[in-house]
Amino acid sequence: MTGAVPTIALAGNPNAGKSSLFNALTGARQKIANYPGVTVERKAGHASFADGRPLALIDLPGSYSLTPASPDEAVTRDVVLGRQAGERRPDALVVVVDAANLDNHLCFALELIALGLPTVVALNMLDLAERDGLALDPARLAQELGVPVVPTVAVRKRGLADLLAAIDGAILSHQAQEDADPAPPPTDAALHQRARAIARAATLSETPGRRWTQRVDAVVLHPVAGFVILLALMFVMFQAVYAWSEAPIGWIENGIAVMQEAAGRALPDGFLRGLIVEGLLAGVGAVVVFLPQILILFLFILLLEASGYMTRAAFLMDGLMAKVGLSGRGFIPLLSSFACAVPGIMATRAIPDAKDRLTTILIAPLMTCSARLPVYTLIIGAFIPARSVGGSPVGLQGLVLFALYVAGIVGALLVAFALRRSVTKGNAAGFMMEMPRYQWPRLRDIAISLWQRAWIFLRRAGTIIAMTTVILWMLLSFPKAPADSELRQVDYSIAGRIASGLETVVQPVGFNHDIALALIPAMAAREVAVSALATANAIDAGDDEDAMAQSLSERLQGRWSIATALAFLAWFVFAPQCISTIAITRRETNGWRWPMFMVGYLFLLAYAAAGITYWTAVAFGLG
Amino acid sequence: MTSKLDSAPLGTAVRITRIDWDILSHDEGRRLREFGLLEGVEVKPLHRGSLFSREPLALGIGRMQVIIRGRQAAAIEVEPAATA
Repeated sequence: MTGAVPTIALAGNPNAGKSSLFNALTGARQKIANYPGVTVERKAGHASFADGRPLALIDLPGSYSLTPASPDEAVTRDVVLGRQAGERRPDALVVVVDAANLDNHLCFALELIALGLPTVVALNMLDLAERDGLALDPARLAQELGVPVVPTVAVRKRGLADLLAAIDGAILSHQAQEDADPAPPPTDAALHQRARAIARAATLSETPGRRWTQRVDAVVLHPVAGFVILLALMFVMFQAVYAWSEAPIGWIENGIAVMQEAAGRALPDGFLRGLIVEGLLAGVGAVVVFLPQILILFLFILLLEASGYMTRAAFLMDGLMAKVGLSGRGFIPLLSSFACAVPGIMATRAIPDAKDRLTTILIAPLMTCSARLPVYTLIIGAFIPARSVGGSPVGLQGLVLFALYVAGIVGALLVAFALRRSVTKGNAAGFMMEMPRYQWPRLRDIAISLWQRAWIFLRRAGTIIAMTTVILWMLLSFPKAPADSELRQVDYSIAGRIASGLETVVQPVGFNHDIALALIPAMAAREVAVSALATANAIDAGDDEDAMAQSLSERLQGRWSIATALAFLAWFVFAPQCISTIAITRRETNGWRWPMFMVGYLFLLAYAAAGITYWTAVAFGLG
Repeated sequence: MTSKLDSAPLGTAVRITRIDWDILSHDEGRRLREFGLLEGVEVKPLHRGSLFSREPLALGIGRMQVIIRGRQAAAIEVEPAATA
C-alpha cells in the first residue's frame, strides 16, 4: 500500500467490545456520518503505526454472520466484500472476538478469515475472561485460525501497539502472496462445530463461567425485585435530570444575559441590535439551557448500556411490551426518546422485525422529550401554584409534570396497541438478543459518546433553531406598526397576521393569539414555543420599562386563563412539533408516507387532548 | 423423555434433541443457529419473565446468555442433559 493510507475495518459480534477498542485506537478523533442511502452509522477515525505512518479505521456494525438480518449487518457484509457504494474495500480486517465467548464469536471470525483479506484477530477483553476463570492460549488460537492473534484489553496500550504491528505485518505479507480462492461457505452447524473445536483447543483451563454475573442476575432479573430495581433506577435518573441540572442551567442563563447586555451596549440601537439581542440570543439561549438535562439523561443511558444493565431492563420490560405488540428491544429507543426522539428513533435500528420497529418509531415522539421541558416548566411555573397536595410532601407542580409524562407513556401504549391491530398489523414481534456480561463502563467511552451527543445538540441549536428564531423575529418586527395604530406590534406584523388565521382553527380548544403565534415557529422545534413567546413579548414590551421588568411568566398570567394554559400543556403531550423528528422518520422509513401518517395522527390527538382539557377545565370554572 | 424448552424448569441443564425449523421464520431460525442453539447442544434455562408475564426466557449456552421468546422455545425439543 504505497501512497494511499491503508483502511482497516473493525468487525465482530455485538458485545465483542469493538467500540471500546475503536475508541482506544482512535481517541476522540472520530467522524460519524451515515453510509449513503441507508441509515446506518459510519464511524471512522485515524491512528498511526509505530513509525508514524497514518492508517484509517472504520468501525463496522456488530454482526453475527455474513448473512445479514438487519440493515446494519448488511452494511458490514457489503463493506468487507467491497460492495458498499462509496466505500473502498478495506485493506485489512481486525476481527474482534470476546475472549470469554470464543465458541460463539469464532463462527463469524471464521467466515471473515475465509474472505482472504489480510486479517488479524483481536482477542479482546482478555482481562474479563480471566476474571471468569478462563485461561487461553493465544498462540494456539493463531495456529488453529491461520492468522495472527493479539490479546487486547482496550484500556491497555501494550496490546494496541501489538495489534497495529500485527496489522502492518499482515498487509505486508499478504502483498507477497496470491489471493487464495475463498472456500465455499460451510453450513451453520459445521461452522459452529469448528468454532467449538478451535475454542476448546485454545482453552488451557476453565471454571464454569460467569458466576459473578449470574449472582447479580439472580437479584436484578428476579421477577419482583428486578422490577423494583428498574423502577428505582428510572426514578433516580429522572430526579437527577432535574436536581443536577439546576446549577449549570443557572450558569448558562447568566452567560446569555451577560452576552445580551454586552451586545446591547456594543451595538447602536437599531435593526442589528434587535436582531441579535431579542432574536438570536434570546431564542438560542432559551434552547441551549437544556443542554445540561439532555447530557445528564444520556449519561445515565450510556452508563446503563455500557454496564450491560440495559439488556436486563429490556428483558424485564419485554413481557409488558409484548402485550401491546412491541418487544423489549423497543425499551431502549423509547427510553432514549425521553431525552430526544431523534437518537431514540435512530436506536430502533436494532429492532429486527420491520412492523415492530415501525410501531416503535411512530410512538417514540410521545415520550416526553427534553424539548418539551421548557414549555412545561414555563407554563407550570406560571399557572400551577407551588403548594403541596393536601398537606402531603408531594408538590402540586411536580405532580402535574409527572402527570404529563404518564399521559405520554399511556398514550404511547394505547397507540401502539391500536396500530399493531391496524396499520402495522403483523406477526407477534420476536425478541432474541444476547445478554452481555456486566462490566464497569469505561469512562473514556462514555465521555466520547457524551461529547458526540452534546455536539449534535449544539449544532442543531446553532443552525435550525438559530435560523427559525431569526426568521420569526423578522416576521414579528415587520412591517412596523404606525405610532397611531390600535394594534400592538406583535399583532400588526406578518407573523401576527398569519397567527390570526390560525387562531380561528385553534380557538375552539381555548388557544389565544399568543399561542397561535408561538405554534408556527414551534413546528421547527417545540422549545421554540418558549423562545417565540419570549421574543414576541420582548418586542411587545418594546421600550416600556415597566413591561420589560415583568417576567415572561408574569405576563402570561395576566393574559391566559388556567384552562388555556392546561390545554396548551395537553397539546404539547402529543403535538409532533419537531422538524428533526419528522426528518429522521422520513429517513428511517424511506419515504414520506409514515412521517405524514405520524404527523397527522399526532396532531389529531393533540387537538382532541387540548379540547377535552380546555372544555373540562372551563366546566370546572377555570376558564 | 423429551419435552419442550418453553416448559423446561429453570436452573437445570437440558440437551436439545430436535428443533422444529418449520414453525420458525427464516430469520428466527438463523438467529437461533447464530446463537449456537443447535441439535445436540446443552442449554440451561436461567430466567423466565417478570412480574407481568412469563415471557421472555433467558438461556445459558456455553459461556453466553441469550434471550428468546416462548414461541421460539416451543419449537425446541429437549431431554435431560447427561451431565445435569
